[in-house]
Amino acid sequence: MPTEAAATPQLAHHFPSLEAQEHAARMGMWLFLATEILLFTVLFTAYAVYRFLFPTGFEDASKFAHVALGATNTVVLITSSLTVALAIYYARQGESKKTVALLAVTIAFGAAFLVLKGFEYHDHFVEGQLPGRYYHFEGLSGPGVSMYFTLYFLMTGLHGLHVVVGMGVLTWVAVRAARGDFSRSYSTPVELGGLYWHLVDLIWIFLFPLFYLL
Amino acid sequence: MAATSHAHKEFGPAQYLAVWVGLLVLTALTVAVWKMHFSLGTRVTLALTIATFKAGLVALFFMHLWEHGGVTRLVMATSLLFLVLLIGLVLADNATRFQYANPPYSEPWSQVPYQQMAPPMQDQPPPLEAAPPQRRP
Repeated sequence: MPTEAAATPQLAHHFPSLEAQEHAARMGMWLFLATEILLFTVLFTAYAVYRFLFPTGFEDASKFAHVALGATNTVVLITSSLTVALAIYYARQGESKKTVALLAVTIAFGAAFLVLKGFEYHDHFVEGQLPGRYYHFEGLSGPGVSMYFTLYFLMTGLHGLHVVVGMGVLTWVAVRAARGDFSRSYSTPVELGGLYWHLVDLIWIFLFPLFYLL
Repeated sequence: MAATSHAHKEFGPAQYLAVWVGLLVLTALTVAVWKMHFSLGTRVTLALTIATFKAGLVALFFMHLWEHGGVTRLVMATSLLFLVLLIGLVLADNATRFQYANPPYSEPWSQVPYQQMAPPMQDQPPPLEAAPPQRRP
């Protein structure tokens, strides 16, 4: 067991109680997540507009998406969300070892997601299915086709960046958990880091059908 | 603010596993729908409905909105409201435009060729105005 002193949360003087402090931390995280949702909303709006203007181009271009890889990545992220949720649960129970193990599994899932995404990107690069004026794929041309790949790389790229950041956040949380910073009475960073990871999963849940299945 | 927001029952591993199974089933369902080659409208509707259900499962259970509620739900609902406003109003703009105001080769009304949308040409060009009288040097 870690020393209780290390695992006891500090109450900042401007909060009346630990509950109020935890409540404020959670609300701050949700406000940040709201800005993230709006950041992606702008890109989803761009997708909606160009999909609306070029329905045939988007439908033809999406036939070249790797559905098997995309579906596998969906399962990978969903499972990683499960392991994060369990990590938060065990952090609240004060079982730091299980928390660290589950966070490590989650980070590994994140890495697996990026590797599979890398294979996909590689295929698109080799085929010349690239954004904007770099598009030189012989097999398909027409209005809106290169716009599909522009949005594909922009949105999955920004999402991939979030996966990398999420892995960094979870690594930091896992190190703190291994150090014994968390206990039954204090596990807020695990919960907030987990929220970020769930948001990454949430965004992919919409990216997958929009780019692979429609 | 409820000071004892943690006091009531929390979800355990069994519930999280159930949510995970639900998410896997919905993923399989959305791929199955894709393989059935419905019309575009049906596919878009089904895929987005399934994705919304999946997102709901993640937000309510994995992200604890079901347990915590309160102001976090308000923040989430507000961001969703602005998501709907932005996408909805921008799409409504593009859908109700005079076609030439949309990018060239776009096809929201693909059954109508450009030539038919253009105003009819006049048979004869309008007569030129008489040149203004020149001032003598």
